[in-house]
Amino acid sequence: MLRFLVTRLASACFAALLSSFVVFLLMRAVPGDIVAQMLGQSGSDRAAEQALRGFFGLDQPIHRQFLDWLGQVVQGDLGRSWYQGKRVTLLIADAFGVTFEVATATLLLATLIGVPLGVIAGIYEGTRLDAAIQAFNLVGLSAPVFWVGLMLLVGASAFLAWSPPFAYASPSEDLGDNIAIVVLPVLSLALLQAAAYSHFVRDCMIGELRRDYVKAAIAKGLSPAQIYFKHALRNILIPLVTFMGLILIQILGGTVVIESLFSLPGLGRLILSGIQGRDYPVVQGALLFVVLVAILINFTVDLLYGMIDPRLRP
Amino acid sequence: MFGSRRWRFAGLVGAIISLGIAAPCAAQDARSYGKSDPAAKSGGRMVVGSLTEPPALDPYHQGADARIRVTVLAYQGLFYEDASGEAVPLLAESYTVAPDGLSYTFKLRRGVKFHTGQTMTAADVKYSYDYLRDAKNGSPGAGDFSTVDAIDAPDDATVVFKLAKPNGLLPITLTHRYGGVIPKDYFASPDSRTKLNEISVGTGPFKLKQFRQNSVLVFEKFKEYWQPGLPHVDEVTFAFMPNSAAMVVAAQNRRIDMGIFTRPQDAEQLANVAGVKLVRTPSMSQRTVDLDSKYAPISDVRVRQAIALSIDKEAVMKASIAGYGQVIGTTVAGMQERWGVPLNELPNQKVDLSRARKLLADAGHPNGLDIDLTTIIGYDWMDPAAVTIADQLKRVGIRVNIKKIELGVWIRNFQSKQMGFTFNDWPTSPDPSLLYYRHFRAAPLGADFRNWNNAKASELLDRGREESDYAKRRVIYNEFQKLLAEEVPTIMMFSADLLTVERDRVRNHQQHPTGWYFGLIKAWLAD
Repeated sequence: MLRFLVTRLASACFAALLSSFVVFLLMRAVPGDIVAQMLGQSGSDRAAEQALRGFFGLDQPIHRQFLDWLGQVVQGDLGRSWYQGKRVTLLIADAFGVTFEVATATLLLATLIGVPLGVIAGIYEGTRLDAAIQAFNLVGLSAPVFWVGLMLLVGASAFLAWSPPFAYASPSEDLGDNIAIVVLPVLSLALLQAAAYSHFVRDCMIGELRRDYVKAAIAKGLSPAQIYFKHALRNILIPLVTFMGLILIQILGGTVVIESLFSLPGLGRLILSGIQGRDYPVVQGALLFVVLVAILINFTVDLLYGMIDPRLRP
Repeated sequence: MFGSRRWRFAGLVGAIISLGIAAPCAAQDARSYGKSDPAAKSGGRMVVGSLTEPPALDPYHQGADARIRVTVLAYQGLFYEDASGEAVPLLAESYTVAPDGLSYTFKLRRGVKFHTGQTMTAADVKYSYDYLRDAKNGSPGAGDFSTVDAIDAPDDATVVFKLAKPNGLLPITLTHRYGGVIPKDYFASPDSRTKLNEISVGTGPFKLKQFRQNSVLVFEKFKEYWQPGLPHVDEVTFAFMPNSAAMVVAAQNRRIDMGIFTRPQDAEQLANVAGVKLVRTPSMSQRTVDLDSKYAPISDVRVRQAIALSIDKEAVMKASIAGYGQVIGTTVAGMQERWGVPLNELPNQKVDLSRARKLLADAGHPNGLDIDLTTIIGYDWMDPAAVTIADQLKRVGIRVNIKKIELGVWIRNFQSKQMGFTFNDWPTSPDPSLLYYRHFRAAPLGADFRNWNNAKASELLDRGREESDYAKRRVIYNEFQKLLAEEVPTIMMFSADLLTVERDRVRNHQQHPTGWYFGLIKAWLAD
């Protein structure tokens, strides 16, 4: 177990370092920097340009910039936003709070809708019910998230004469407003992920129900409920947990789009505005954080395997 | 709105000023920030939807138009650029110009308070403009002050600008695009720049309450503001809308009181909603196609002329903004009457395909040519315009390949003078020198982004800047515009109207043609 943890930790560190380096290089490979943006179309006074470059340390050689940044990161300091002046760690904490709320609510809702649908479709394979669920899956899997979000927004306005509040409020600030502002983004993300779930669980369920042990169980005279829920469902838990991990990472990615659509000040929008403004410390810090979260999710999934199936314990 | 009688009056004032006589401006209170409404009531909170978000609120170092739009509420210059293009004294009360035009003496308004509680003195004004004009401080506004030699503050209420060369547009330069008067030595501390996202330190009618990135920006009434009774509303909240669909929905459901739309088709959806009205204002921004004189094949003036002669601006405007704007020649719509040359007196404005083909053949392209045309991601109007122009140019054998790039990349190309053949969207302050000088004056005095490098144009622009008499300036700038139309370093196509959506309860909101939010200062809310 210890050996497993150590190797996983080492590979995680390596992945984080490598991805930081790639992000660092990519950001600087994108033409234009913060100085160009600040000067805008007003023209470039060489002296003003140089003064600003020096102010942000952009006049240093690139390896020096990377090492300086890395040195800070190792000490737990991600620097400050060049525009906002706030600590990047604080910006990430604020933004992740929003994203985390949306992502967990989405995961919960998608699981609650998607898994039962998939199980039902699997059990009733080939029936009209199955066809209806598959139709839902098809729509859910093929509709782009921004379109679903937009339709919900326009639909709520047209039929309910309602639209979400314009400013995000955290649950502790104003719970009513908070729910009102996250409900549409969560719904639009959850509908899509529920379809993915349902599609996946249906396939697994059908596969399981054709296995020999199910035939044996039927021959033994077990009730359908026992066969479905005690045997078949338990066996699909392993792939399901892996899938959940993937879905969660996908939801984190999906929030970039959905946050932009619904004015949520989450991690996705923080990264996007950071990229557009060439605010290097923000982009580097936030992406490093996302990489760490993804690693953590995968790691948790691995640990869950062992809990579900003792044979897989390292 | 742009009546000619007013211009004559303005010219007269200009003439008096240039004679070195003090111009008392007793009625300027009534003229700063538009007309006053005697029926105005105070109080209430207003929510303004905005499709653009300022990256930061530092008026000294952030050049973005999205920043200027909102910081005009909190920071003030010595003058206010009124909707017609005149510099109306604001923090200055009056001014005199020495007969040689080399020294401007400004009398400052007394009793003006900063948001920090301090009282404004001449030392603050001197500090502010000295900071702004020193390029080492990295302000995009530094270039506007190249003619200023020194700024003196002989007493608390007097500031003297000493110039190296006469500069007729000094007053309009001391307005709101960059900087604004702030307390002396404000920038001495290292975190002062980003601190401006938390507090405001200007003298404006509103002070900053809160700025949450990607969410809202809140300004509150500054209780010690020097103009009695202003502003009328207690609080203004800017809600940053990530897209126009969200803003349409927010306006329909009365989540916002006001918002400026960029695409007419979005605003049109609101035209029939009860309790909401749509206001059109001619703007000071322009949609252009720029032509880099170092970029082959448009380095040849004949090819540039052929392109100009093949473009039907009216059709491009219809395709791109459904006609909600005005076709222009060589200046923005908001300045056409005061400074522009009538379009029928300018060369290369009417479509003439046979002349275009002949010019192309003379330039060595009898079989036409291929060229890349750049559009910017996020600027919705450019895509339909690009397709339309590609169709129009095909008629003379110019095959256009449309290239889309990201804004940051485009700005880099722009500043490094590698524009190529590209769309552009640029706003201006209402003065021809502020509009043309940096863009078209050859380096090093101007930036000359399009590598035009035209000696005659540079000479005209220098003269226009030194002259302070309106009539004489107009002659100079008319000559410049004819040269611009003849040589085609840019094709100014149209000015899109500003489309403001307002709820009924918003009263006396006067949209400023720059798109900056000056209008909120005298606006009020009915119950």
